[in-house]
Amino acid sequence: MEIDIGKTIRISDFVHAADGRALLLDTTLPGSIGAVPGLEHTAEALAEVTDIVDGLIVNPGQAEHHAEFLGGRHRASPLVRVDWTNAFRGQDFCLPATEFRHLFISDAEDALALGASAAVASLFLGFDDEAEARNIEALSHLARECTRLALPLVVDIRPIGYKVGPSNFEESVKLGLSFMQELGADVLIIPPCSQGTCATIGGWIAVPVLVRMEEFPEAAHIDAFLAAGLRGFVLGEKVFARERYAERLEVLARQVHQRSSSDDARAR
Amino acid sequence: MTRAPGKTARLNRLFNPKDGRAVCVAADHGWMSDVTPNVMELRRILELVVRGGADGILISFGTAVRHGHLLRGKDSPAMLIRADWMNMPRLGASNVSNVLPVVNFKKMATSRARDALHMGASAITIYYFIGYGDEFEALNIEQAADFAKECRKVGLPLIIEPMAVGGMVTGVNIAEILIASGRIAAEIGADALKIPYTGDVKTFKELVDQAGVPVLVLGGAKSDVPRDALELVDEALRAGASGTVFGRNVTKAKDPQKMVADICALVHGGKTIAEILGEHRAVGQRLKPVPAQCIGCQLCEVACVRAHTPGYGQTRARLRVETPSLGEELKPHRPVVCTLCGQCADACATGALTIAPEARLVLQRSLCSQCGACVDACPFHLIFVEDGYPVVCDLCDGDPECVKWCKRGAIVLTEWKRRVRHVHAE
Repeated sequence: MEIDIGKTIRISDFVHAADGRALLLDTTLPGSIGAVPGLEHTAEALAEVTDIVDGLIVNPGQAEHHAEFLGGRHRASPLVRVDWTNAFRGQDFCLPATEFRHLFISDAEDALALGASAAVASLFLGFDDEAEARNIEALSHLARECTRLALPLVVDIRPIGYKVGPSNFEESVKLGLSFMQELGADVLIIPPCSQGTCATIGGWIAVPVLVRMEEFPEAAHIDAFLAAGLRGFVLGEKVFARERYAERLEVLARQVHQRSSSDDARAR
Repeated sequence: MTRAPGKTARLNRLFNPKDGRAVCVAADHGWMSDVTPNVMELRRILELVVRGGADGILISFGTAVRHGHLLRGKDSPAMLIRADWMNMPRLGASNVSNVLPVVNFKKMATSRARDALHMGASAITIYYFIGYGDEFEALNIEQAADFAKECRKVGLPLIIEPMAVGGMVTGVNIAEILIASGRIAAEIGADALKIPYTGDVKTFKELVDQAGVPVLVLGGAKSDVPRDALELVDEALRAGASGTVFGRNVTKAKDPQKMVADICALVHGGKTIAEILGEHRAVGQRLKPVPAQCIGCQLCEVACVRAHTPGYGQTRARLRVETPSLGEELKPHRPVVCTLCGQCADACATGALTIAPEARLVLQRSLCSQCGACVDACPFHLIFVEDGYPVVCDLCDGDPECVKWCKRGAIVLTEWKRRVRHVHAE
């Protein structure tokens, strides 16, 4: 399906038109559990990475308060997360979640007004049926609104519910991808999967698929994911706690975009 | 920090552009809890608050309609409107002032941001309850997000008030919850926070740093003495807070205008609490009993009476010796003396009874209302009334007779350091 020019332009803000690849950073976990190591001061963290990565996934409040670090020709584009969940409140959080909750805190119009190049929301899989149905319903409405406003929709597939285990994890990812491609998502984010699954996905999904990594990926993984046809990475908030994360991001950005081998990129 | 021009202009009305700080007063109690004097006398109190120099006043829509005209003028406080409602003060029956208890905790969004904008508000304030349960918190987040979206659209600042309440909140995790909730509120779209003090400078500084938006500390329950409230402000400022939103500590103060002016002096004027309260650090001496040395002769009582009044006797002494009761003969006798604890002075509503810089209790009879509060407040029951006025230990002008006469050393003089207010002689 042809997408309209508005979406084409906005997607190219964070997925390179030349190579079709992207490196994004997600900074939205503090919206659920408060500040995390390395992201205590959002402005400082954004200033460090905005010239390196293609896009930054931010919560609406941060998109508004720190707009000076976002957008522009050579800086990261803002991708505004429009949903909220307590799913990441583990036992180490001061108030562990006892019941899964997921809701929408923004919409396409709001995200567009915040200068977003895309709206980001999650598809949670493996929790109870009603939660899944509500999630699909809300994402469908968001997709229609995004289409109307020519705002790309990025869906972050999260198979983390109690029904998901090692035996059905990768099939759950594929199920989520199928749902979201049918729904009309423009870019998809998945957790790391095996090489076989990635190859299946790369050959089947028509929209860019990025892999969410909680840590900096190993060189071999980078090559394997890209070779399978996946289009890049979304790094989670934990990387902000790592030493020299900006330098390591620069290396990763070269690896993602210059199709060079990992060894070449590090040598440069 | 980047914001829409409408938000910037309105925040500039609230936060003084010169120092980025604000002194706000919350006067929305009648919207959510019992009818109390500060609710019934709201007009008078608001007038005093305006005169005191507040930067903002938080009120309900009804109050805005009735008393909003008090906020006319470029120099008047910014109007903050409470855009939601909750029944927390009425939960359960433990609160004696709760005339209509409720069982289920409810919080409702009661207006749109644009309603407040049309009313002339410079910001809206909403709650964010955390700790009561996942579903209730999710409802709070959803409502806050709706307000945040609309506020961005219309250019109206949003102040979120995180409140850590409920069965999941304990003394151990409350600071951590407040720190997390402050950041979560900012991530959703709060332009400023109105938040309780975490209890110490270190954790509140963490909260302020991690929130990334201006933080206004709230006052909570009415403090017993103004100094306690000012100390809370002082600590919050040291932690990096941008100001205050005090409610009952102002609206229930004896003099709301002075209370606001005092907070302003601290927040904007760079004054210290001692300067504001006219205090200085005094060093002197006070009495200290040494029970192990006392033989119960009661000569100190006699000496005390002889030094202050004609004749002899013990009933009008400003100290006493307690003797062991029957069966407890092995216990020591215990001299009970004035230790300058200051509770009588704190209880004195008129300022008649104070501790002078040279470390003496001083009574200004012209100010004394003969209410007897000091008599009730003395934890040692040493103050008695004569001709309607309280009689207190004056340390015999620095040379106490009880100390001189006690050859056993059962009452001694010891060093005393304390902040005291300046006292003007009668």
